[in-house]
Amino acid sequence: MTALAGRLLRHRWGTAVATLVALAAGVAILTGMGTLVESGLRYRAEPHRYAGADLVVARPEVSRTVKGFDGDTTTTTVRLPDGGAVPSSLADELARVPGVRRAVADVPVPLGNSDATGHGWSSADFAGDRLVAGAAPTTDDQVVVGRGAGTPGSTVDLVVGGVPRRFTVSGVVDGTTAVYFTDARAAALSPTPGRVPAIALRADPSAVATVTRLADASGAHVFAGDAKGRAEPSPELDARDLLIQLCGAFGGYVVLLVGFVVAGTVGLSVRHRRRDLALLRAIAATPGQVRRLLLVEAVLLSGVGAALGVPLGVLATRWVHGQLVGHRFVPDSFPLVPGALAAPAAVLLTTLVAVLATLAASRRVTAIRPTEALGEAAVETGRGSRARLVSGLVTLAGAATLSTTTLGTGGLVAVATATGMLYLFVIAIGLLAPWINRFAARVLDPVLRVVWGSSGYLAAANLRANARGAATVLTALVLAVGLGGSVWFLQDDLERTTVDQRHDGTLAQHALVSGAGLPAAALADVRAVPGVTAATPVRTTTVVVPAFDGIEPAGAQAVDPATLTRTVDLDVTEGSLAHLGEHTVAVSTLRAASSNWTIGDEAGITLADGTPVTLEVVAIYRRGLGFGDVTMATATVAGHTATGLDDQILVRSDPGTDLAAVAARHPGSRVVGRDDLTAGLADDLAISAWANKLLIGVLVGYAALAAANTMVVAALARRRELAVLRLVGLTARQVKRMVHAEQVGLLGTALVIGGVVAAWTLASVVRALTGSPVPYVPPLGIAAVVGGATLLALATTVLPVGRLLRTPPVEHIGIKE
Amino acid sequence: MRVEELTRVYGSPRQPVTALAGVDAAFGRGTFTAVMGPSGSGKSTLLQTAAGLDRPTSGRVWLGETELSGLSETALTTLRRDRIGFVFQAFNLLGALTVEENVLLPSRLSGARPDRAWFAEVVHRVGLDDRLRHRPSELSGGQQQRVAIARALATRPDVIFCDEPTGALDTRTAADVLTLLRALVDEQAQTVVMVTHDPVAASYADRVLVLADGHVVQDLPQPGAARIAEMLASLGRRRVVTA
Repeated sequence: MTALAGRLLRHRWGTAVATLVALAAGVAILTGMGTLVESGLRYRAEPHRYAGADLVVARPEVSRTVKGFDGDTTTTTVRLPDGGAVPSSLADELARVPGVRRAVADVPVPLGNSDATGHGWSSADFAGDRLVAGAAPTTDDQVVVGRGAGTPGSTVDLVVGGVPRRFTVSGVVDGTTAVYFTDARAAALSPTPGRVPAIALRADPSAVATVTRLADASGAHVFAGDAKGRAEPSPELDARDLLIQLCGAFGGYVVLLVGFVVAGTVGLSVRHRRRDLALLRAIAATPGQVRRLLLVEAVLLSGVGAALGVPLGVLATRWVHGQLVGHRFVPDSFPLVPGALAAPAAVLLTTLVAVLATLAASRRVTAIRPTEALGEAAVETGRGSRARLVSGLVTLAGAATLSTTTLGTGGLVAVATATGMLYLFVIAIGLLAPWINRFAARVLDPVLRVVWGSSGYLAAANLRANARGAATVLTALVLAVGLGGSVWFLQDDLERTTVDQRHDGTLAQHALVSGAGLPAAALADVRAVPGVTAATPVRTTTVVVPAFDGIEPAGAQAVDPATLTRTVDLDVTEGSLAHLGEHTVAVSTLRAASSNWTIGDEAGITLADGTPVTLEVVAIYRRGLGFGDVTMATATVAGHTATGLDDQILVRSDPGTDLAAVAARHPGSRVVGRDDLTAGLADDLAISAWANKLLIGVLVGYAALAAANTMVVAALARRRELAVLRLVGLTARQVKRMVHAEQVGLLGTALVIGGVVAAWTLASVVRALTGSPVPYVPPLGIAAVVGGATLLALATTVLPVGRLLRTPPVEHIGIKE
Repeated sequence: MRVEELTRVYGSPRQPVTALAGVDAAFGRGTFTAVMGPSGSGKSTLLQTAAGLDRPTSGRVWLGETELSGLSETALTTLRRDRIGFVFQAFNLLGALTVEENVLLPSRLSGARPDRAWFAEVVHRVGLDDRLRHRPSELSGGQQQRVAIARALATRPDVIFCDEPTGALDTRTAADVLTLLRALVDEQAQTVVMVTHDPVAASYADRVLVLADGHVVQDLPQPGAARIAEMLASLGRRRVVTA
């Protein structure tokens, strides 16, 4: 049976190649995606700073457990943006536990002019840093540095707390990026006095129980062995979260798309060979044998597809990894696993889809009697099963219901339901495609007739007759336009809205910005400059807020409430920023809707270091995308951010005011104008949109490939039909016009439906995120969609048909089918 | 091989099209029967229902002691594969396979080891010894039909049904194919039932069964081509008159 399947496949290599392309590309995409997820899921942070500790007490994550409607509890865990903190006094308590030999509160001191972070000397041996020259620091102005950064006796300049200070090197350790102060000096310089990210312990196993009890009492966890890596701040862990998040958002689309395309192509390849199969039935193959033959064929093709797709997927993953590193989404040190699980899973999934699709398609072929089969073979009939129609209509009803829900809710719930709605719409259209095609053919009939005359009449008839065969084309194109249109243009929309909001909302003419952070002295300096009428320090941070079913991080800014309204216009819709203070908060419309807050509510917020605060909501504003979803007073976050410094100072001043002198006094800072401030923002956003666009580009490309595939096969299979038309008297020109009319009908239908789905989804999401009811779509985007579809039609049908038309029709008439 | 009270109705219940309206016929071992009649008389339907390719609306089909209408699709296929040969007007060879593979396909599908001696004899009989490695597309129409006949013979069937076997062939090639069928009947006691509209082709048979409007209207033993043509013509006239 295998040999026979192979022979039949080789004879029909055109169809086989089409199926193979769909399978191989599907396997490649799934392998790539799966490898990224697997790399994320299997990543275990290795301990560096606390490698030498027996136990580490820290609180790097915060979680919230919510009881759902069904009584189940769901727990959401979020890594704290600044790594979390525990009280440093806990170190003294832990040191007294029997079995604990040493307990060191690790005090990090962020440095403005170095990649290294300063620490207290007592933590050095936990990181494995040993002196190779000189001695430990003993006075406030002494430091130990890494190899190459100085020699004992030399001096180093370090920017600590935004202020440059000079230190004398007392010793050198073997690490490369290390700066150690005396413990006392580190504690004094710490931006979070009394709170440290972790306490490292040397302890006997007997002490674990007591240590755990004490840690629990202050909300911290105990980490040992490899788990200690989780207690350290790590760009790799952020990369892990990013990969899981990104693939989580797109995984569904990918599986859906690959499923539809593989199923459609395989189904089509079976239907294209009805005649062969009917013949086999007539010659004496039992229905079971024909089914087995097709299954063997599907498995064979899946096997070859896997053999091509997996290496392709591995190469693609490597390329994407390089790009992710290049765009700084992922650090170079983040390891990519070989995809030992992802590749087999991808192969298994595509094979399964291929086999199921074959079974479904073969049911039609094998259920009929041989004579019917022989008679029916040439024409494609049947509308698809009743089950398909019913499930399609049910899905469509579900999508319609969700779309009303989307309109009724706001915030991130609306975004989530809009995404679900998009999925359901696409599935419904995939299921209903044969009926949609038939309906479209009927509706378009008069139009095609008017525009293309008798060619249009034939085109409409062909569209109607081939409604089922063209289902894959419709589905793939609707998927491409619907998904691509909504997700791609959403990125453009968000970028544009963010920049617009920031631009419109910034009243200050200048800003003093610094990557190293600005100390309080800088603010005083700015305010002392003659002509400055208002100066607002802005500290960008992240907080963790409740969302509808758990918690999530939200972008936040901490500002000076007194001057805020003179430098920034947040577009407050409810309440007033006049009440913003240490115990109050202002939130964006989106945040208020997502966390279910209104004016006067007590909002439970977790600050970047894990400190929970309860703040009264006093204002709700519209420009959340531009300025962050949460606005607090600097006093609220003081001592709870990693550096304790401001990121920028917004300045409103009289014309001619010169801030250059202030910038010169604070190393790393510079003065930027209002327009430059938003320009930089646009660049950052474009980079973060890049990942989304890359993924959506792959998806759209795959969908277009699938559509192209199907159309080429269909076009080449029409040899005989076109020859007959020419023999009965159609000129080559009329045949061409007929094909053009068909393409316009088919692709036009797909574009309109895909466009409506995309516009509806986009409008729902944009309305929820920005409040604007009309999404912005760049004109170039529309041109790209229409141009792409035209190109597709040209390349896949018009050109192959043109080639067929160049040979005399009699040469084709002898070829069966 | 016999059929009893065979009816076959196509189309929807509201607009039934009766192809067979109660046909009784028996085809004895070693006989060559031609089934004739105007277009739409039900002759192809009779052949297909008798061969188990189609199921009758009512009535019975007996092949020896086996009654076909009660069999499942798979059992019917197996029976067709082992005991019935079928030759189509359009040859219906698989283009992907060589002549040899096409001929051996039924036994391959049945999973039985092909009888090489019989295969060699069949191939020799139809005169395809030197064409075994060719593909159908490399053969002439007559050669292709001989491949189809070899395929039908390969499983030593009880009966061979031919649906217009010479319909797509020129006169000389047609004569070759018919002579081959005649020889099979005479030398191997093969039972052959053939649908044709060509009086010359029918003259090779022992007996001519004429159908009109789903009924057997004539059953003539060896009438000769001229008599057949005359009879068909009168049948055509009668239809015109009654219409």
